Amino acid sequence: MYKAVIIGGSAGSFQVITRILHSLPASFPLPVLLCLHRLKHVRSGFVEALSLKSGIPIIEPDDKEQIKPGKAYLAPANYHMFIELGNKIALSTEDPVNHSRPSIDLSFLTAAQVYRDKLIGVILSGANRDGAYGLKKIKDLGGLAIVQDPNECQVRTMTEASLKMTPVDHVYNTSEIIRFLQTIKT
Amino acid sequence: MMQYEIGIVETRNVIKTLLDDYGYDFRDYALTSFKRRLEQIISNNGLKDADGLIGKLKGNPTFFDQFLNEVNIDTTEMFRDPSFWRTLRDDILPEIIRNSTTKPRIWIASFDSGEELYSLTIILKEMGALDKVQIYSNVFTNATIQKITSGQLDPKDIEINEANYVRLNGKSQYSSYYKVEGNKYFFDSTLVKDVNFIKQTPIIDKDPGAVKLVLFRNQALYYNQLLQERVLQKIAESLVAGGFLALGIKETLENTNANNKFTVFNETERIYKRKNV
Repeated sequence: MYKAVIIGGSAGSFQVITRILHSLPASFPLPVLLCLHRLKHVRSGFVEALSLKSGIPIIEPDDKEQIKPGKAYLAPANYHMFIELGNKIALSTEDPVNHSRPSIDLSFLTAAQVYRDKLIGVILSGANRDGAYGLKKIKDLGGLAIVQDPNECQVRTMTEASLKMTPVDHVYNTSEIIRFLQTIKT
Repeated sequence: MMQYEIGIVETRNVIKTLLDDYGYDFRDYALTSFKRRLEQIISNNGLKDADGLIGKLKGNPTFFDQFLNEVNIDTTEMFRDPSFWRTLRDDILPEIIRNSTTKPRIWIASFDSGEELYSLTIILKEMGALDKVQIYSNVFTNATIQKITSGQLDPKDIEINEANYVRLNGKSQYSSYYKVEGNKYFFDSTLVKDVNFIKQTPIIDKDPGAVKLVLFRNQALYYNQLLQERVLQKIAESLVAGGFLALGIKETLENTNANNKFTVFNETERIYKRKNV
């Protein structure tokens, strides 16, 4: 019944995201959209690092790329990543939001508008408040909101900001997030 | 982040006003980013909603010009993607200058807020080649021409721009190209004194012709596929055989009809070369 998973993370999320990607089977039935804060001038290396142990292919998409199930799409450095009607990636160079480009809020907001109640949003460890508003939009439009347990986070600012703004569906540690994603069938 | 949101129907109503009242066709702009832009304009101007924006646009060419400036997404960075500019300086500009009997034409076909143009002219100046080319640049409004020719740019983050310039291995100091007065930056406007500005509507219906290099970086991000195809067709017609086209580093000609008119010159920097067809 779900059509996509979107995950946002910042400081302290790399290990978590690596574990999650490692756990996904090649047959994972949904696209995974990743919006992670990263160094803007380091163009390459990040996808490779994430790919090492990932169960599904990780793509740093070009603009207008078609989104397909069973693949992960990582927001490119120094661009915002929007989800556009027609299940496509749309990149943008507009100003940073929450001092971030890519901004998690913008990826989450645009994904929520396209997938509505068929979207799962996950906020992980991070040092700013980016993503809190986006997760609220996912919840408001009928999607499922998950936040990493702040007690497990290296930096808890982002998850706490999200919890303050939205009555989320689940507060999970990494193992629970993994178990949940593994139960997803189409 | 909290912001005012409008729906798709309201977005289309604004687009219809722009077309009916001013003949500017935004119908094939990418919906998500255009809608977002309208939302920001509504907020920034203290308007109530999309109808408020439509009301203000009607019979108000002054506000329409201001709208065009606001709807356009600023370039925001000098020397964005320094390795691209290095490639341009080391591999492409020398070739097009060497192989030309008259001044080769360079066309900035994106709606640049000045940063692409100043980056290009700084590089040309450091090559000693500023007077060896003829530059054309697209703009929406006279206000943009005024802004660019006065040198008063707004490149947001000075540290990022500095760092880009260092990565470029420029010959000089980035800070030698501008003066700070109060909190405003004034770039050396003599760099752009010979530039030809082309006033365009959103569908880019004019071109300089016989162009040897087109910079069209990160503009088609804001188009749907239809408009992307149309403008790429226009650019392909404008380029001479062997001429170069630079897209943004996350844009591609693959999956477009223009693809068979080009070969890939530099995959990483997304630079293409016009075939002789």
